Amino acid sequence: MPMEVENSSAMTASDSGSAEVSGSSSGPLLSVPLPTGPPAKKKRNLPGMPDPDAEVIALSPKTLLATNRFVCKICNKGFQRDQNLQLHRRGHNLPWKLRQRTGKEPRKRVYVCPEATCVHHDPSRALGDLTGIKKHFFRKHGEKKWKCEKCSKRYAVQSDWKAHTKTCGTREYRCDCGTLFSRRDSFITHRAYCDALAEESAKVVVAPLSQPPKEERILVPVMSPPPPPPACGGVELAMPLQQVVPTEEEEAENPPNVLQHPPVAAPAPPPPPPAPPTPINRTRNTTTTGKSTSTLSASSGTTTSTTPSLFASLFTSVTPTGSTPQPTSYTDLIRHVPEPPALCLSISPTTSVFPQPPPTDRRSFTSSIPTQHMSATALLQKAAQMGATSSGSSFLKGFGLDISSPSACEQHQDQGIRESGFQQWGQQLEPDSVLLLSAGLGLGLHYDNSAMNLPDLMMGPSSFFVAKPATVDFLGLGMGPTVGSPIGGGFPGLIQSGSAD
Amino acid sequence: MTQEENGSSTSTTSSSPLQSFSQMPLSPPPASTAPPPTSPLPSAYLQNLRSDERGLYLIHFLLNCANHVSAGRLDHVSTLLQHISLLSSPDGDAMQRLSAAFSVALARRSLRPFPGLYQTLVGSGCSASAPAVAAARHDFVNLCPFLRLAFAASNQAIVEAMEGEKLVHVIDLGASDPTQWIELLQLLAARPEGPPHLRLTAVSESKEVTNQISVCLTKEAERLDVPFQFNAILTDLNSLDVEKLKVKTGEALAVSSVLSLHLLLGNSNCQIEDFLNALWNLAPKIMVVTEQESNHNSPVLTERFVEALNYYAAVFDCLELTAPRNSVERARVERVLLGEEIKNMIACEGAERKERHERVESWGKRMEAAGFGRVPMGYYGLLHVRRMLQGLNCDGYRVREEKGCFFVCWQDRALFSVSAWRCRRFD
Repeated sequence: MPMEVENSSAMTASDSGSAEVSGSSSGPLLSVPLPTGPPAKKKRNLPGMPDPDAEVIALSPKTLLATNRFVCKICNKGFQRDQNLQLHRRGHNLPWKLRQRTGKEPRKRVYVCPEATCVHHDPSRALGDLTGIKKHFFRKHGEKKWKCEKCSKRYAVQSDWKAHTKTCGTREYRCDCGTLFSRRDSFITHRAYCDALAEESAKVVVAPLSQPPKEERILVPVMSPPPPPPACGGVELAMPLQQVVPTEEEEAENPPNVLQHPPVAAPAPPPPPPAPPTPINRTRNTTTTGKSTSTLSASSGTTTSTTPSLFASLFTSVTPTGSTPQPTSYTDLIRHVPEPPALCLSISPTTSVFPQPPPTDRRSFTSSIPTQHMSATALLQKAAQMGATSSGSSFLKGFGLDISSPSACEQHQDQGIRESGFQQWGQQLEPDSVLLLSAGLGLGLHYDNSAMNLPDLMMGPSSFFVAKPATVDFLGLGMGPTVGSPIGGGFPGLIQSGSAD
Repeated sequence: MTQEENGSSTSTTSSSPLQSFSQMPLSPPPASTAPPPTSPLPSAYLQNLRSDERGLYLIHFLLNCANHVSAGRLDHVSTLLQHISLLSSPDGDAMQRLSAAFSVALARRSLRPFPGLYQTLVGSGCSASAPAVAAARHDFVNLCPFLRLAFAASNQAIVEAMEGEKLVHVIDLGASDPTQWIELLQLLAARPEGPPHLRLTAVSESKEVTNQISVCLTKEAERLDVPFQFNAILTDLNSLDVEKLKVKTGEALAVSSVLSLHLLLGNSNCQIEDFLNALWNLAPKIMVVTEQESNHNSPVLTERFVEALNYYAAVFDCLELTAPRNSVERARVERVLLGEEIKNMIACEGAERKERHERVESWGKRMEAAGFGRVPMGYYGLLHVRRMLQGLNCDGYRVREEKGCFFVCWQDRALFSVSAWRCRRFD
């Protein structure tokens, strides 16, 4: 079997008969042709399957690392490429005979890696390309001399390093949850799942309490795909809160569910940070979706508590008999009221779960001034809550309003008898209108029909009201069925007084 | 969190200062013969109000006015409207614009006892032409993603139902916007088994609208190489003859109704039943219904008023955050689209009152009574819509799934519901 010796120091262009087999790694090298198989064809081989007919060249590491492999015999000058060597040889003006590169058929060569532990050391796993084997040797068994400046990646091959620096940091995708992606497709997939996963994972927590089983069936598939991304704190905070909202639709079931939800919401850090200092953010819901929910709701809760100051200031300026906020009366009131945790949810958002003494919080809120700009929805909620307070049945009694007497006004075709009750209200239409408002908002206040004794208006949309078994006696006055309260009695009164001069 | 207050007594919180109001000397009004207040509140005072205080005043004025309107006390109505006009403005903040829209509706409503005045000033029907409304609807679709999300959800349901079908016939009831069908064409073209032959029948009252839709869609279908055929039926839904829809045997039928089905509730209960029965007889594979999620069909004016106030407050809030105050499109949406809806539902009655929105539960009952079974909107539909939502990069918009229906929400208020139904035969 013909063997060829390639000496690192001198290369013979003509075939040399001498066959030297050397096994040392530092000396000349060894070439062993593969067992002959089918006749070689000139075609590109599949990767990993070298041409069986090819000549296996095992270059020493020194050879691989060497940069000037091609050496001119005449002057011993070294070149990196064979073509460069040929060009150089022309300059020597060789006689014709010596000019030929004799006989040496370009035999297909494959190269093995000199590193014994490497997979490619085996001739059957030889690589077909000299450059390829060099790069492989550098990458795997070489020192990584090239380092990217932006990131910490190191490379042994200069071309790899160059290619990397070109793209490092140029295209990056960042999800809201903070995860970084270099590929667009993986980013998009993640982003779709990210929010869904965060919500569903929170939903799953709440699901056993209130959601119908169908929800869980839908939720389960969500949990299996990509691992949930690190949900940011705000999302976690608001998710339990947000998930409570869907139950609003099943209004009849709400009260028990609402009571259950606070324990679920407890893990979330109770005071929504934005609430006290920045009610301003109310309308500008720029943070994550979850956060904005909590902001809005928290701030609406805040506004509840600031209404005293608002109206106090309003009416101080208008009417001579100013009114001052009386925090102490809260305490009186609140003592009379049974306080399920759900109450506290609305009273003070900071004590969302635990029934801490509200008055303390109340006083701190009364001093704060509500923000300039509220959304229309927030205003409606505020109005409903303000109006929902009944400030004394005695007030209305004093007016001797009599529901039962029919009105003298025209009846409209759709409204029939129902509207008759309104006649009596005169200016005191505030209460039921605001009750309607709260009903419309789905707030479903405690008012029992009997307590309000409102006209049939209230009977219709029973779905508006949360079915509350007992009449909550807010004032501790033990009021029986009385005429409804003149809630914002100040307002119409204001109109009256302002207009009547 | 405010929705928590279902079970809570919010009243305890702010009763204290209002209690003090009860001690304020107020001139007690006699029962029904209160002298009408004549002069308005000092305007100087009103100009100095902060926006939230002004908003609260507006709400109280509006509610009181609604009560007076329903009771027929025009003089009180007039005074209150004066107050409202001082505070509201179609170019102000959300609450001001909302009040402007509602006060116009209330003013119109208060004329109803005087048929002559009503006829002359209010006339019959909408004061805006159908193309103007369609343009406003188009602006709305572009400004706020609600309808686009609803379209996406509907399309997803349709595509899922039409899996494997070669011949798809879609009927668009109350067509006004080609956006939804452009997306459907794209979805169908991207099907792994290739696009089906798509026929679209658009039911609309305006030829201009259907022409515009036709042009847009044919162009898109050519571009996507989807075999497409467009038919227009120029009629309003009330007088739609189902035969005209020309549903052929062998084609898979999908019916889509976007904010249109409620128009049929006006005449009598029977009409919607007949209509749904007729649709059922066509045996559609899927029927997707998008409706406003709010009950604006109560026979009692004040209830309707309050529901509408809450609903449109959310929509106006959304517009406030989405578009600048001087935006022409926003003004068009508020005045032409939403304003007309509000005017119709507050000022009109009987057959004229077309905007009878109802919640999806009521629609569900109707559909089930007509023989339709609910098709849950699907997990992938929800993901698709959520992805779209993230792509839109808007804040405050939510999509929620509940009992198989999608709710497109602003903050926590559901504004539109999307539900899907199939023809249930012999179940």
